Amino acid sequence: MPVPDQDSLVSVLQHKIGTVGNILPGQLGKATIQIESALNRKVIQILLENDDGACIIALTGLDLGEKIGLMYHIRTKGLVVTVKTEVSKEDPKIATITDIIPGANFHEREAADLLGVVFEGHPNLSRLVLPEDWPKDLYPLRKDAKLEGVSSKLADSQCNTQPEVKMQQSQTDSRLVNIIVGPQHPALLEPEKFSLKVDGETVMDVEPRIGYVHRGVEKAAEQRTYLQDVYLIERICGICNSCHALTFVGAVEKILKTEVPDRARYIRTIILELNRLHSHLLVLGHAGLEIGYETLFQYMWRDREPIMDLTELLTGNRVISSSMTIGGVRRDLKEEDVPKIKTQLAILRKKMDFYQNLYRNERSLKMRTQNVGILSKDDAIKLCVVGPVARASGVLTDVRKDEPYAAYGEIPFKIITRTEGDTFARLIVRLDEIDESINIIEYTLDNMPSGPYRVRVPRIVVAGEAVNRVEAPRGELFHYVKSNGTAYPERVKVRTPTFANIPAFLKTAIGGSIADVPANFVSLDPCFSCTDR
Amino acid sequence: MIKRVIDFWLFFRVLVFPGFTFILFFTLFCDWVERKIEARMQNRVGPAVAGPAGILQPLADLIKLLSKEEIVPTNAKKRFFRITPVLAFSIMVFAICFLPIDGSSAISSSGFAGDLIFVMALVTIANFLLFVSGWASSNPYGAIGASRVLTQFLGYDIPLFLLALTPAFLAGNLALSVIALSQYKFIPFIILTPWAFVLFIITLQAELEKDPFDIPHAESEVVGGLETEYGGGRLAFLHLTRDVQIVLGAALVVTFFLGGPYGPVFFGFPEFWYSLWFVLKVLGVVVLTEYITCLFARLRIDQVLTANWRILLPLSIVSLALTIAMVTWVYPLVI
Repeated sequence: MPVPDQDSLVSVLQHKIGTVGNILPGQLGKATIQIESALNRKVIQILLENDDGACIIALTGLDLGEKIGLMYHIRTKGLVVTVKTEVSKEDPKIATITDIIPGANFHEREAADLLGVVFEGHPNLSRLVLPEDWPKDLYPLRKDAKLEGVSSKLADSQCNTQPEVKMQQSQTDSRLVNIIVGPQHPALLEPEKFSLKVDGETVMDVEPRIGYVHRGVEKAAEQRTYLQDVYLIERICGICNSCHALTFVGAVEKILKTEVPDRARYIRTIILELNRLHSHLLVLGHAGLEIGYETLFQYMWRDREPIMDLTELLTGNRVISSSMTIGGVRRDLKEEDVPKIKTQLAILRKKMDFYQNLYRNERSLKMRTQNVGILSKDDAIKLCVVGPVARASGVLTDVRKDEPYAAYGEIPFKIITRTEGDTFARLIVRLDEIDESINIIEYTLDNMPSGPYRVRVPRIVVAGEAVNRVEAPRGELFHYVKSNGTAYPERVKVRTPTFANIPAFLKTAIGGSIADVPANFVSLDPCFSCTDR
Repeated sequence: MIKRVIDFWLFFRVLVFPGFTFILFFTLFCDWVERKIEARMQNRVGPAVAGPAGILQPLADLIKLLSKEEIVPTNAKKRFFRITPVLAFSIMVFAICFLPIDGSSAISSSGFAGDLIFVMALVTIANFLLFVSGWASSNPYGAIGASRVLTQFLGYDIPLFLLALTPAFLAGNLALSVIALSQYKFIPFIILTPWAFVLFIITLQAELEKDPFDIPHAESEVVGGLETEYGGGRLAFLHLTRDVQIVLGAALVVTFFLGGPYGPVFFGFPEFWYSLWFVLKVLGVVVLTEYITCLFARLRIDQVLTANWRILLPLSIVSLALTIAMVTWVYPLVI
C-alpha cells in the first residue's frame, strides 16, 4: 500500500498544473484546483496520467446564482483531488470528459438531468434519473426551479416511459429479440429497467434506465436542518444506512472542525462493520437465489439474522440504526453487551467455515460463477468501479486504508483482492471480507477506549464545504456538503457505490449468456435505492 | 346384468381407483411432500396452515387458481393457448393409467406388449404440448421458457429412452406389467443394474425440470418461463401437469427398477398391498429427487446440453451394452 503523501502530491500538481489553475491544498480532499471551464479536459487528463489507478469519483454540480459550479472529484493515489470550474447559467456548456474516462458517462448524464448542464460531445445525453415526461427546461437542483404543480402535471400526462413490453423484433437485426428486465422482474429486488438485446441466448447489447425510485433526497436535504438530514440521508439505503449517515456526519464534522471522541470513533467502527457483515451475508445468499441455489439462500439469510439482532442490541434498531449523530454516536456501548456480541461473532465465524468450504468446493455453484462476467483490471479502472467489484479485478482500493476514518487508522486488517475479476471472485472477496470484519469488530471491542461518546455541536454550521468518503459494504461512498452559514445545507451531493458500478455490469453482460445475467448482476450487489437517491 | 357390473368396475377403476381421482389426490399429496421436504431441508417451515401440517395446501392452491379469472393475451394464439395445458395434463394422467399401480393398469386389459414405448411417447408428446403452450402465449419470457423446455428435452430424451430399455432387456419384454412382475419373480433390477438406476435418476432430474436442471423455470432469467402469461385454471393445469409428471417419473423408476407394486409383505387383499407398496416406493423416489434438488445450484442451458450429449448419452449407451452383455452371458449362469 503506497503511503499517501499530501505534500508530494500537491507539489506534483503544482509542477504540472500550477500554470493553468489555482491550487488550494487541503480543500475538498487533498487539494482543489480552480480552473477555467475550457481547460477541464486538459487538467483532468493530466490528473489521470499522474496515476495508473486514477478515476473519477463524482461530478458535483451546484447552483451559484449567476453561474453553475461543477466539481470533478478525481481519485488519484487513493486521495481526492477536486477540479473546480464554473459555467454560465444561460449557456451552461462544457466539454465532455467521457472519452477520456468512460466512467464519467453517468455522472455527466445526471448533471445534465438535474442541473441542465450540456456536455458537448457526450455520446448519449438522454434522461437518466428523471422521468421521460418531466418538463423540459426544469432542472430541479437549480435554486430557482419552480417545482410547484409538477407532480400533478406528471400524474396527468400519459406516462410513457415504458414503450414496449411485447415481443418485439429489433429494426436493425431481425434476429435480435428485446428482453426487458425490469422495472418489475424476479431477478431485481428493486425497480430499474435493463433492455437486453438478445440473439438466441447471447446478450448483444444492454440499455439501462435508472431513476424509478428517484426520491430527490439531495434536493430534500437542502430544505432540512443538518440534524434532520442525518436521518433523511440514512434512509437513502436500508442496508448500508449507517455508512450513509456517517459519510454525511463526517463531512459536516469536517466543516465544523469537530474532534470526535475516541470512544465514538470505535463504536462507529463496530456499527459500520456490522453493516458490512449483514450486507455481505445478504448478497452472498441472494447470489444463491439467482443461480437457483435456494438452499444456500435460505441458510445464509438465516445466519444473517443474529447480526441484525446485534445491531439492535447496539443501537436499538434492527435496520435503520439511527445511531450516528454530528459529534459522535447516540448510544454508548454497554459493558454487559460485549460478551454477547463476541459470542455471536464466534458462532458466525464457525458458520463461515462451512460457507467458505461450500463456496470454494461446490461444483454446480462454481460452474455458474467462474469465468462469468469477467471485468479486467484496466476496464475496472476505466469504468471507475469501486469496492469489492474493483478489488475482485485486482484494483487495490479501500477507503479504510487510503484515507482512514472512524478508528480504521488504528486497527490492523487486510484488504482482500483477487485477480480473476469474474463473478466467483466478486463473491469470494466478500466471503473473505466477512472474516476480516469479524476480526475488526473483535479488535475494536478489545481496545475500546473509555470517555464520552459524543460532543455537543452548534446547530448552525459555519460556512464552508467538505467532501467525505466511507467504504460502504458495496464500495466507496462519497458525499459532498456545502454550508452557507445557516442551519440548512446549501448543497448535499451523494455518489453511491452502485451508481459507479452499473457501467461494469453493462460492460460484462454484453457477449455473455442471458442465463448469466442474474448471477453477474447480483455479484455487483446492486442497490437501486442508493443509485437513484 | 353381469355386463353392467363389469361396466361399473371399469368406470370405478378409470375414474376413482387407481384412475383419475386417485392419481389427482396422490399428485397433490406428493406436491405437499415435496414442498415440506424442501422447506425442512432449507430450514423453513413450509406449508403449515391448511389442514394438519399444511397437507391440504396443494388442494387449496388448486381450488384458488381454478376459481380465478382467466386472461388470454390479445396476441396469443388463442386456441393453442387454451387447449394445450389441459391436453398436456390429461396425457400425463393417461400415461400413468398404464402403470401397474395395484398390480394391473387402470384400464384392466389395456396393457399391451409395447406399452413401455407408448408411455415414453406420451411423455414426449406432453412435453411438446408444454412447449406449444409457452410459444402460443406470444410473450418473450414464455417463448424463451418454452424453447428451453424443448432444447433441454432434446438433450435428455434419448438417454432417458436408452436407459428405459435396460429393464426391458432384463425382463425380456416391453410390457410394463411384465417388467414389474419379473422383478417380483426374481429380484428388483436396481440390484442387478445399479449403474442404470443412478443414470436414470439423473436423467429423470432433467426430465422433471428440477435442480440442477430446472432451467425452464429459472425465474431470475425468464420470469415464469412458459407459465408467464397463464393465470387461473389454465395455470392450475400447468402446475398439475408438472406435479403429475413428477409422479409419473417416480412411478416409472418404481416400475423399472424397484419392483413395481410388489413388496416383501402382503397377505389377504392383494390390491391393497400392491397399492400401498407402489405408493410408498413412489414417495421414496420423490423424496430422493427433492433431496438432489436441494443440494445443487442451477446449471446453465449450454452446460446441461453439454452434459447430456457428451456425458449422459455415451454413458447410457455403455449402460445398455453392459445390460445386454449381462442378459446374454451372466443371466444364464444365475437362472
